[in-house]
Amino acid sequence: MIDQRIFENLQAKIDEESTVRDELNEIVRTLARRGRSTQAILSRAHSTPADQLKPVLDDVTKEILAQKEEIARLKAVADQHPFYKYNGLWTRELQNLVASIELCAWLGGLQEHKGPSSTSFMTIDDVGKFLDIPVNLKEQDAFHLTIEDYLLALIAMVEELARLAVNSVTLGDYTRPMQIGIFVKEVFAGFQLLNLKNDILRKRSDGIKYSVKKVEDVVYDLSLRNLIPKGGSSA
Amino acid sequence: MGTKRDWEGQPLELHPKDTIMAEAESAPSILSIFENFRDELDEHHDRRERIIKKSRDITALSKKIIFALQRVRATNQPIPPKIAQENQTRFDQIQALFEAVVPEQLGINGWRYQRQISPGIQEFIEAISFDHYLRTETLITHAECSARVPPQILISEEDYLLGLFDLTGEMMRFAVLSLSSGNTTATQVTKNTTNESEKSPVAASQGGIVVDLRAMRAGFEALSVPQRHYMFRDMAKKLDVMQNSVEKVERAAYGIVVRGSERPSGWTPDLSGAMEVASY
Repeated sequence: MIDQRIFENLQAKIDEESTVRDELNEIVRTLARRGRSTQAILSRAHSTPADQLKPVLDDVTKEILAQKEEIARLKAVADQHPFYKYNGLWTRELQNLVASIELCAWLGGLQEHKGPSSTSFMTIDDVGKFLDIPVNLKEQDAFHLTIEDYLLALIAMVEELARLAVNSVTLGDYTRPMQIGIFVKEVFAGFQLLNLKNDILRKRSDGIKYSVKKVEDVVYDLSLRNLIPKGGSSA
Repeated sequence: MGTKRDWEGQPLELHPKDTIMAEAESAPSILSIFENFRDELDEHHDRRERIIKKSRDITALSKKIIFALQRVRATNQPIPPKIAQENQTRFDQIQALFEAVVPEQLGINGWRYQRQISPGIQEFIEAISFDHYLRTETLITHAECSARVPPQILISEEDYLLGLFDLTGEMMRFAVLSLSSGNTTATQVTKNTTNESEKSPVAASQGGIVVDLRAMRAGFEALSVPQRHYMFRDMAKKLDVMQNSVEKVERAAYGIVVRGSERPSGWTPDLSGAMEVASY
């Protein structure tokens, strides 16, 4: 005898979960839409000289703050459910947002949110504080920024910086590639400390060396032609 | 190839190792940050692997339980003591494995490592649901499954459902095997069945399995899972295998009815429509 109630109960559970998913997806979609506009504005940095960057960064900050509100909405809903059951729904968008935040901060925006650490980028704690979300939770089951998401965001930022190194030269800025070179190599050295397994982090971090090479090539071309301003490296 | 030069044009000797060392001195914080990340990630990977290992052990033991249960010949009565005893030691071993996984799956980690433990859980559900079916001719419920593991171990609806899918494969094998093993089971069970099936040459217990498999198939097919749902991919495949299993049993029953009387001893039902058997 097969009890059909078993299947009815399963259906009820599946429906319940779909409702949760739909609710989360709706927020993630908004987050993604705003994320695209953040990135669109941020990409203007590639064609804007460093000294005129301020208005661009102000616009980006506005968009990022709008995304921060979506994160708060997401957190409110996600906190009611097991984190790792649903985090696949938003991890991509969260990574994109963190990458935008990092890039914006590196370019000189969001300075008031950078912590006192001597690093040239926002640490995971800085980002968590800025977004008002916990980071790297290991026991409490709540919405947070994972180490993996943060590292993947750093990789995305490095890739964007490698592109910026090339475009800075086109804009006539020969100092910035030096700064980018130093920073990218710092991050690369950091990633080399990690014991990565064969996962997404491994695959993406393998790409950093190409970014490093890209930047080094730019630096090489400039130094070969004596185009580097004296003392530019220390900036 | 030219030598690498510094910005003043002086030749530069650069070894990748040196640059890292130099950075380590100028910015100790970035390295200490990443060292911290490394420890966290190592801990995560180690735990992940420990769970996968346990999950594999649970799978292997569950498979042995299922094999032993396939030697049972009658349904709706206690499992023969020899097989029951054999399986009890395996169930105890599985229990110990689950207990060992508990500290790894506390709190937030329950869902974090769900995908790693899930194959073991599914196989375990297949084993206990088969055991349950042979003894009672009913399906084990989700709550009953949860009661068989430590309370901290999470049995998701997905694992439960996919475990039941695999159960249909075992029921198919069981039905086909007992159909071919002669009438002994049939005579044992016919007394508590209706007149109608008493006339049928298909042994009542196997007749019961055909009916139950059909009911399960109907139940599975009636489930509507949204396209984007994570269950969906696994389910489509399993649905296919399950349908095949049901048809196989139906054909075997048909073979008995049509050719049963002419059947020489030792004859096995014709399953020449060679379909894949669920191999998990």
